[in-house]
This record gives sequence, C-alpha cells and structure tokens, in this order.
Amino acid sequence: MKKTTKLSLKQLLFANPWGFVVPVVLGVVASLSGVALLGVSGWFISAAGLATSVGMGLFFNYLTPGAIVRGLSIFRTAGRYGEQVSSHNHLLGLLKTLRLWVWDQRVAKDSANLYEQSRGDLLQRLVSDLDQIIRWPLVVFLPWIYALLSYTVVALFAYFILPALLWPMAVAALLHLVVVPYACGRVASHAVHVGQILGVHRRSRFVSLFSALVTLTIRGHWKDYAKRLGQLDQRQLHTELLVQNAVSTGRLLAYIITMGLIVSSFYLVSSIEPETGKWVLLEGVQGTWMVGFILSLLAVHELVLPLVQSFVAQGQSYVGLRRLNQLYEAPKDSEKRFSTNSKNDINHMSFEHWRGFHASSGMGNAPIDLTIQSGDKVWLRGLSGSGKSTLLASMAGDCLVSGDAVINGVKCDLYDNAAYQQHISYLPQFPYIFQQSIAANLRMGQADASEEALWSVLEAVALADWVRSLPNALETLLSSQGRNLSGGQRKRLALARLLLRKAPVLLLDEPFDGLDKATIETICKSLQNDYKPDILVLVSHIDSRLGDDCQVVDLS
Amino acid sequence: MSKNKEAKKPSKASRFKTPEVVFLDGLSNQQSSKYRLAQGFGVLFAVSLVLQAWALANVFSDMALHQSFSLSLLVIGLFAILLRALANFGRERICTSASRDIRYGLRRKLVSHLTELGPARLRIDEDAALSTRVYEQVDALDDFFSRYKPQVFMVTLIPCVILLSVVSISWIAFFVFMLTAPLVIVFMIFVGHKAAQANRRQFSVLAMLSNQFMDLSQGLAELKRLSRTDEARDRLSYSAESYQKTTMGVLVLAFLSTATLELFASLSIAMIALYLGLGLIESLPWQQGSSPVTLTQAMFLLLLAPEFYLPLRQLGNDYHAKQKAEAAATDLLEILNTVQSTAKASAPDSNLSADINKQAFLSLRQVGWLESGRHRLAPISLDVFKGERVWLSGESGVGKSSLLHLLLGFEEAYQGEFYIEGRPFSERNLAEWRTKLAWLPQSPEWVNGSIKRNLLLGIEAPSDDVLQEALRKSQCDDFIQALPNGLETSLTELGSGLSGGQMQRLSIARALLSQADVWLLDEPCSGLDTETANAVLNTLNQVSKGKTLLIVSHDTHPILWADKHWSLNKGGLHEKNNQTIA
Repeated sequence: MKKTTKLSLKQLLFANPWGFVVPVVLGVVASLSGVALLGVSGWFISAAGLATSVGMGLFFNYLTPGAIVRGLSIFRTAGRYGEQVSSHNHLLGLLKTLRLWVWDQRVAKDSANLYEQSRGDLLQRLVSDLDQIIRWPLVVFLPWIYALLSYTVVALFAYFILPALLWPMAVAALLHLVVVPYACGRVASHAVHVGQILGVHRRSRFVSLFSALVTLTIRGHWKDYAKRLGQLDQRQLHTELLVQNAVSTGRLLAYIITMGLIVSSFYLVSSIEPETGKWVLLEGVQGTWMVGFILSLLAVHELVLPLVQSFVAQGQSYVGLRRLNQLYEAPKDSEKRFSTNSKNDINHMSFEHWRGFHASSGMGNAPIDLTIQSGDKVWLRGLSGSGKSTLLASMAGDCLVSGDAVINGVKCDLYDNAAYQQHISYLPQFPYIFQQSIAANLRMGQADASEEALWSVLEAVALADWVRSLPNALETLLSSQGRNLSGGQRKRLALARLLLRKAPVLLLDEPFDGLDKATIETICKSLQNDYKPDILVLVSHIDSRLGDDCQVVDLS
Repeated sequence: MSKNKEAKKPSKASRFKTPEVVFLDGLSNQQSSKYRLAQGFGVLFAVSLVLQAWALANVFSDMALHQSFSLSLLVIGLFAILLRALANFGRERICTSASRDIRYGLRRKLVSHLTELGPARLRIDEDAALSTRVYEQVDALDDFFSRYKPQVFMVTLIPCVILLSVVSISWIAFFVFMLTAPLVIVFMIFVGHKAAQANRRQFSVLAMLSNQFMDLSQGLAELKRLSRTDEARDRLSYSAESYQKTTMGVLVLAFLSTATLELFASLSIAMIALYLGLGLIESLPWQQGSSPVTLTQAMFLLLLAPEFYLPLRQLGNDYHAKQKAEAAATDLLEILNTVQSTAKASAPDSNLSADINKQAFLSLRQVGWLESGRHRLAPISLDVFKGERVWLSGESGVGKSSLLHLLLGFEEAYQGEFYIEGRPFSERNLAEWRTKLAWLPQSPEWVNGSIKRNLLLGIEAPSDDVLQEALRKSQCDDFIQALPNGLETSLTELGSGLSGGQMQRLSIARALLSQADVWLLDEPCSGLDTETANAVLNTLNQVSKGKTLLIVSHDTHPILWADKHWSLNKGGLHEKNNQTIA
C-alpha cells in the first residue's frame, strides 16, 4: 500500500477503523459505567434511607441495586482496561503506518535533494512529531466522545426527572464540550504554533553556535551569541506560560460551569415555601432521583475536565502534522523509464555536452563529449576540483546534468532514473555502510547470494582475511555508519557489495584511496578477471594496473 | 550503558538513592518555597473537599427524606466546590511555574557548562544530540516537577484528612479505608515496578527503531542505487510489527496490574455503598433492626469514598513521569558530570620553573594530565619559538588534541609548568591570549549563514581588498567566483556543494583574516583524499610562513614543510628529524 496522499487528522481516524472502534466502545462502556456508578449508588443509599424512615425498610429490594452497583464497578474497570490495551495496540499500528509514510516520502525524493533535512531535524520529525500526531485520537478525540455520550445519558435521566432540566443541561453541555475547549484551544494554539517554530529555531541556533564555539570564544564574542540564545529560550518560556495559563483557566471555567448547572438545576426543581423559608421540591420530583442526578453530574464533570487540555493537544497535533507534511512529495506525473528494453544490457553510452553539477552551488565539470562502448575502460583524470567526481555521479544518475545522454542508441534522462540505475553499479567517494551485519550489508547487492559467493567477493577485495579474523565472521554487526571500519575497509566492503550485483557498468570513484600496493593489486586482478564489468569508468589519482590499459580522459 | 544499568539495580534494592534521584531532589529543593505554597493550596483543597461532601450530604439527605433542602447548606456546598476549583487553579499555577523555573534555570546552567567545556563537550556527544538533551530532555522533566512531585504530597494528605473526618462517623468505614489503603499502596509499588520495566523496555526498543530508520534513511541514496528501497521498507514494516507485538505483550501485563488496582478501589467503594445501604434499611447481618449511620452520614461517606482513592490512582497514572524524568536525568547528569577541571594546576614547582626557557614563545615543562588515574597526556616538555612551525604526530588517544585544547584555554587541570612568552599561562589574561589564536579543526566550524558572515565571524569587517587578498592567498577566489551568489552563498549544515578541501580553504581564509599569529590545527586533512589533502597542505605552507603554527596530523598526511616534527606517544614526546622522512 503505497500512500501518496498528504496526511490529515481525519485520515488518521479512519486509517484502521476496526482497530479504532474497539477502544471507543470499551471506553464508552467504562465512562458510562463510571457515571452510572455514582448516580445509582447515590439513589440507592438515599432510597434506602427513605424507605427506612417511612418504615418500609424490610421490604426494600436491596439485592438488585446492590448487584447493579457491583456490576457497574466491574464494568468500569474492565472497560477501562480493555480501552487502554486496545487503544495502545491501535496507536502502535498507527505508528507503523506513519513511519512507512515518512519512508515513502523519503524514497520519493530525488537524489540531489535527499539530504535537505539535517539528521537532527529528521529525527525530531520522526520522534516528537509522530508522537504528537498518533496521540491525537487518544488524547483529543476519545475523551470528547466519552464526555458527549455521558452528557447525553445524564440528559435522558434529567428528562425523566423534569423535562425543564434539559435547558441548563444543553447550555452547560455546549459550554463544556464546545465553547470553553474551543476558546482555550484558540488562545493556546497561537502560542503552540509560535512555540513550535521557536523550538525549531532555537535548536538550529544552538547547533549552529555550538559548532563554532571555539572560534566564537577565541574572538571573545561568545557571550553576545549565548545571550541571544538565552533570549530565544525566554521567548519560549513565555509561550509555554501562555499555554499553561489557557489550560488552567479553562479548568477553572469548567468548574464554574458545573456550579452554574447545579445551581440552575436546583432552582428549576424547587420553589421557595414562604412560611418556612425552605426550598421545596416541585410536585412529582423525587428527592432520591435528584440525588442520583446531582451525583452523576459530578461524575460527568470529571470527564469534562481533561477536555481543555486535549484541545490544546490538538493544536500540537496540527503543528506536528504540518511539519510531517512538509516531507510530502507529490507523486511524479511521468514515470521515468529507461527507454530501451530493460532486459538488454547497456552496450553503448554516449554523452554530448555533458555537464554534471550540484544543485546548490552549481559547481561541476566543464561540458564534455564522451562515447563508451561495451568492453571499454575509461580513466577520468584531472586536478582536484576539476569535477571528476561530479561527472561520475552524473553518469550514475545521482546529480543534476545539462546535455544529452544516449544509451544503447536511445536518448534518455539519467537523473534519478531507477530503471537505468539497475544496470549500473556506482561506488561514490563516501559510500554508506549500514548498521547491520557484514553479510546483510553484502547481500544488499544480491539478496540471495550464497555464503561461498560472499567469501569469494570478500576475497576479491582483499577483506576475507580480516573478516575471518573477526569472532563472528560474516555475522559481525557493523556500528553506525561503519564507524568501526577504517576508510579503506569501508570502501572495499561497499565495492564488494557492488561486485555482487554483477551489473554490466561499473563506475568507481577513488577506489584505491588509502590502500596499500598489494591490496590495490588484488582488487585490480579481480576487476580484470572474475568480476570484470562490460564497461568500467574509473576516477583515481593513484596509478594502478587497472589504469594501464584504460582510455584516459583528462578533464583539466 | 547496559553495564551502568545493571550496576544501578542493586543500589536501588539496598535503598541508596541513585544519583538521578539525588539530582532531581536537589532541583526541586531550589523551588521549595513554591512547593510549600502549593502544599498550602493542597491543604485548602482537602479541607474544601470535606466541606463540600458534608454540605452536599446534608442537602441530599434532606431532599431524599423531606423533599426540601436548606439554601444555606447548598450555598456552603457550592462555595466549597468553588474553593476547591480555586485551590486547584492556584496549585496548578504554582507547580507549573516551579517546574518552569527549575527547567529554564537548569537549561541555562547546561548551556554555560557546555560552553566552559569547549571542545571537550564532543566527548559526550555530537552537537545535534547535545541540543536534544538541552531542550527535549530538560522538558521531559516537566511532568515530574509539575505533577508527580506535588502529587506525592497530596497522596499522603488527602487520605489522612478523609480518615480523620470519617473516624467519628463510622468505625466500619474507617476500617475499610484503613485496611484497603495499605493494600492499594502495595499494589501501587507493584504496579509502579511493572510499569517501570515496561517503560524502560519500550524506550529502548523505540530508540532502536528510530535508529534503524535513521540508518536506512542516511543510506537511502545507496539503497536507491542498489534498488533495495522496497526491501528496506519491508524491514521497517517488519520491525514495527514485531515491536507492536512485544510491546503489547508487556503492556497487557502492565495495564492488568493497573486494572487490578482500579478494581480494588471500585470494589471498596461499592462495598462501602452496599454496607451503607444495608445499614440504612437496618438489614446488616450483625446489626438488624437498627441503623449504624444516619442518611446524612451515609451520604457523606459515599461522597468521600471515591476521593479517598483518587489521588493514589492519579499518582499511578503519573508514575511514568518519574520514569521519564529519571531517564532524562541520566543524560543530563552525564553533561554536568563531565568536568573540565577537577583541580587547578598544582603549585608551581621551582625546579621546573627554573628550567623554563624564557626566550621561547611557548615553553612546557613536564606538562601532562591525569584523569582518573589514567594519563590523558603523558608529561611532556617542549619549547616552541616564535615563527616556528611544528608538526605533532602520534596515534589516536595519546592526547594530541588535548594539548591543543590546553593551548586554547579550555583545559586547566594540567600538571607541570606552562609558560607563554616567559610568563606563566595561568597569569595571562585568557581573553587577550585567545585573540592571538586561530583554530582549524578537522571539520571547520561554521554557523548558519553566508560564506562572508562565516569568514568575518567575530572580527571587525575588513576592507574589501583585505578580504580579496585573503581569498586569493587561500585559493578560495576561483571557486567562490564560480558560485552564483559568490560570497553571499549560504553555508548550511549540509550539502552546500562545497568539497571538504574547499571548506578547509575557507577556514584558512578565515584564519588569515583574523590576523592571528598562532595557528592551531587539529588534523585538518583527515577527511580528505590524499590529492586534495596535499593541495590544502601546500596552500597552508604558503600562507603560514612567519606564523607560529602547531599542526596535529597523522603520518599518512606528513607535513614536510614543518620546521620540527614531534611524535607523541604514551611515553612522551620524541623529536624526529623531519628531513629523513621527506
């Protein structure tokens, strides 16, 4: 399921409707049981008291209400438990969906813009933004549903006591469920947005300043910069204060509304008796029922209290959502295809006025014309900065180009062309080693490679002895970004991975940097025999046996 | 890390406070007056709770029995509710403000501490990760200080107040409360322990998941080239699923214990309700024909019963706040415990002082330092004369960088004697000394902004000629001219399109512009390929003539033009003849 739409809160709600229904139902059962528990037990006790006072105590059926009270308390607990379990299960499912969504967006990005976001920024989006979004159904939506339903049930009860009670109920419900949370959410949402922006700004300022800490300190200017960082923090504090004030004030308002509701209910069901000065209940209104009603109102109040906070949380979810949607990549209208029959191997490549360049700086090589045929070996040479690496990357479809490329006699667009890239193997200057085992890293080249194939390719790049010396051999886990490997080992491992692919075109950027003579010799021998590509393009400033029979292209 | 955790467990068992707990306690003590005020509001809250229950119980029983109620009691009841709301409001405001003050104060402290650490901060973590600690991890303490900490007080206060007000009314209710409260607390501890385990496990697995995502994402270009993006997606999907499964396994248990606690509270409320109901209709098995409580008293008990367990349940819900805070505290303590200097330089040793070469620009005698019994730098003695260019080589970990940090003034806990221009280093004005320095580390230091802003970072803007001259000498002019925006091109954290060699050239230009006459270079060529490195070193040779220069470089990048070559190892410093290598 490739998701290519933008994210929205509605979509989150319906991402897995059945997974969502279960916690909703259980949560409703639990909340209603909680309200009923208080109401019924209030009624039960007052009715019992009344029965005794009128001498009917012995005939009072206490078994049924007693059973109901116990039943409700069990329902409440079991419902709450089921809700917690099922909602967390749902939440984890959402987490997976969202993570894969982010991944798909990353994959859809073209190579030149792949690393627009810094690592820290991506991590923040991945962790805190996702966290804020997935909590939305749980923190915002569900509590609101519970409060709404309990209000409805209590209103039904109120109708049986005295229909006029519906009026204050409706007004209070409107205020409790809509007006106050919305108003507080509105007030806070601006602060939430500002806070989020400030947070991102503050972090990038922090990283930027600290990365130049020594220079700034040496120049005696650190204090000014640090002060500005502190000011940013102060502004953040201010927004935090605003949000917290909105939440506390909202809670206070919720209390006041509840009080108003209780006062008006009492006013509606009673009238003053002038002689005694006492307030007496209207005809037809049962005192015991009234007790149950007021108690259940207090229980509803407990359900309403968290709503203010949840609307503020909604603001946070929105911000998180917006930030995640910044990763969104519109689906490409036309799929770029390697125009010739994809099964055919590349046997002829010709480049006209070909110039590769970097998107941000526009730097690259001077335009060249180059034709390569099956069996050719090309050695690109040139001074540092003449754009050899950029040229090679552009031939691999990794960076922006001007000029035309004709592959197997057909003109095609190489940049970010997945079908073309299947036919070539490109070793960049700083290849990436994954935080997986050596075998898994190698098998990225060929998923079903046998263990013998792995050993023989390791032999070919002169790494076999080193791997054999490791206690876990092929299963050795490599650390993050291959940090426990030397530069040369990292490069050779990446080369081995490429050789396993057996692609007809091999593009190598400085494969020999940092290697000793004997190792270079071994690799050359492999590339000339067992792992000989149809077409080889080499960038290297080191003389080697491989370079001797190459066609040399000098870029400077 | 894992070792660390194992070591913590037994200490917890033996009831010693972990450093994290001590740290958090210390922080909350800073705001003790606010917390005391919050406790005052808590007392007000508890009192109004009882008052509300008493007034409403009277109103209710009157209503049930006589179909009427007293207005004054209702007003008292409502007034109690208002009082309760206000107390809660005040308590919340004070606690959040205490938490804010603690967190923002701590953050200032962390930033200034990191500043003092200077380059040594990178021993803890890279800057991006440090920023997470300084911002996110500090904010992770919020729930602890604003909710958990004050709640601990409420958990003891409210049940006590309720017990006190109940004791005169019903012995049975009092005993039900008395007996269940300890049981609930026992459960709490049990639940807390379970939740803690679940939480810790969840945290580590989640971190692992993020890590996996970041790893695959960092290597995405490689995956695309290898046409393996779908496999990577499957991998992510698979690990997310298995994470879901294992976490649910843990959570089902963790919630089950919470649920048991809830059930316990619910059932004891139901028990009290049933007891009161039966008592009122005079059908208690042991007390038939008479009622132990009046309806008013029964109502009062019923209203108080849920309030008795509520704070405990809230504490149970907030327990994760404590876990989160302790996890964050571990990370923050790591920063605060990384000290720059444990002790000031030892008293001047007259023997060594006498040996100082007063003519030399830099003169070190037996300078080194021990850190927890291990030599970070073996004692070395050296003299550097003005205008001399010195190449320092040696294996990693022998203290080459530490020596440079010492010269930068970021390390003070050295032993031995260290003189600059014939005067002890400790007597020199650090700020004035630092203005003489230029610092060129392995990865040049950049701020977000244009090339120009970075070149002129912290110096007076020079004339255009001076700037062009510096760019020409450092051979930056060619590639800057080729940029569409020239000097105004922004250097972002990543991917400006400039190569490593070009970046180093820019930092050479910056050093030239700063007019510094002492250049300290820490492996300026380590990230470059041999060819580029040689070109950069050639430029350095040309521009640094006449400067005093100390360059740390591996043997793989020999500095052939240096006047002296010193090799540093665990045993100390050895001068080598630079010409024989050449």
